[in-house]
Amino acid sequence: MSTSEMLGKVLAGLGKVGEIEASAISTRDGLLMNADMHAAGDPETFVAMSATMLGAAETATSELGKSVPNRVIVETDDGKLICMGAGPKALVVVMTAPDAGLGLVLVEMTKAAEKIERLI
Amino acid sequence: MIETGIPKLDGYLHGGVPEGRSLVYYTYPGVAGDVFGMQTICHATSNGRLGVYVASSTDPQMIRDQFSEFGWATENYDGRFIVVDAFSWLIGADSQERYVVSDPEDINSLTQCIKKVMEEMSEPGIIVFESLSTIMDLCGESETLDALEEWSQYAMLYDHALVYNFTAWPYSEETLLHVKENVCNSVISVGGITGDVVFGQYFGVLKVDWADLARKSTLFKVLKPGGIRAYIPKILVTGPFDAGKSTFVHALSNRAVSVDRLGTTIALDHGHVDRKGFAADIFGTPGQERFDPIVKLLSGEAMGIFLLLDSTNTADFERGKRMLEITKSFGLPVVIVANKQDLAEALTPEEIRRELDMPADVRIMPAVAATGEGVFEAFETLVERVMEVD
Repeated sequence: MSTSEMLGKVLAGLGKVGEIEASAISTRDGLLMNADMHAAGDPETFVAMSATMLGAAETATSELGKSVPNRVIVETDDGKLICMGAGPKALVVVMTAPDAGLGLVLVEMTKAAEKIERLI
Repeated sequence: MIETGIPKLDGYLHGGVPEGRSLVYYTYPGVAGDVFGMQTICHATSNGRLGVYVASSTDPQMIRDQFSEFGWATENYDGRFIVVDAFSWLIGADSQERYVVSDPEDINSLTQCIKKVMEEMSEPGIIVFESLSTIMDLCGESETLDALEEWSQYAMLYDHALVYNFTAWPYSEETLLHVKENVCNSVISVGGITGDVVFGQYFGVLKVDWADLARKSTLFKVLKPGGIRAYIPKILVTGPFDAGKSTFVHALSNRAVSVDRLGTTIALDHGHVDRKGFAADIFGTPGQERFDPIVKLLSGEAMGIFLLLDSTNTADFERGKRMLEITKSFGLPVVIVANKQDLAEALTPEEIRRELDMPADVRIMPAVAATGEGVFEAFETLVERVMEVD
């Protein structure tokens, strides 16, 4: 199985967590590696913006001498967007349903991020 | 010559496939290879050639639907698009096609039908096989290889070009090698790459016996509608504050989004371009120094760079050069865009070259991003340079 297909499997695993509506893996500099979007918009733009967001958050906290953020969580009325690093090269980002329980999603994402880091 | 209609490929093949010759798209599993044959036949028939599509693994009506998903309306080709139905029998369905293979599991039956089509075609045309691998699965590997020779001879006799889609499933080493080296006059490999982290699909010429072999490979992407495009995953647009970077990205892109406040980009512009067989994703950076960390973050893995300059604002030229350093663009193809050429006090590209002290081989192109003037010329110049690097 190619790396790309294995990443697809990781995303498919995330998709089984009922509350995750879309998920994607990209490089830290915003290039798409794989996405499971269920036709919810353009994955290239989605990951480019997510990578910028995570990178900007890291710059902002390290500017104040704090450690890099573990994740960026964006809350909207329609759902939550969560973006976290997956090793030094990649990141994983998901969009959840509005009433999603954050705990379960974060546990699953952390697991996925560890897998991704080991795959690439 | 019959053009393949695949961007870049006709250039590599010196115009396409000559009449009477054959070509195989040798695809590695997991890569979308079928589209190559589909695009080739549609390109040929829409240019007035006769095209025959040998359907071995899909129902003919579904095939027409698949074509139309890509925006290729086969019903508009006035009967120049012919389907040989080598599928319906397998599922026990009736066929509406003029040419039906009575037993697709018997290679002789297939050969008979293909010969009949070749004889009855009113002029030299192109015959595309949906899947040579399916034919091998149904009829056997050595039987199919033998038949290929017979088809090639016949095609030569009638001046038809033959094109096969072939997926390199785990057949015997011998068969794979034979397909890769002997069976056709030209072999195009279609595969996937796993670079450092970027994933892409490429095609390249492995063999061609009517032209010099160009050992180049081209990244591609399949668009629906649209088909195969030579693809550049990241082109960076950078430059000093207020040089017109966002305007440039929007003028260039079929669709684009920007993260800006009060007209200034604070995160990035992101756009898709799809033009003349080339597709690219465009990343526009902010220009103000306080956003330099974002510029660094975004510039990784770019394959080409536009440096936008406001031709009237010489004070910012140094900053422009500095931004090329920040983006670590050393060694990458760069096109400098001398923007705002419509303003009276704008410097000419040559004056800008002197101001910047740029060597003569760096292209500096005039443009007015606000009206779109010169934007596509700059794009085509950069794409040309990025593709050369392969």
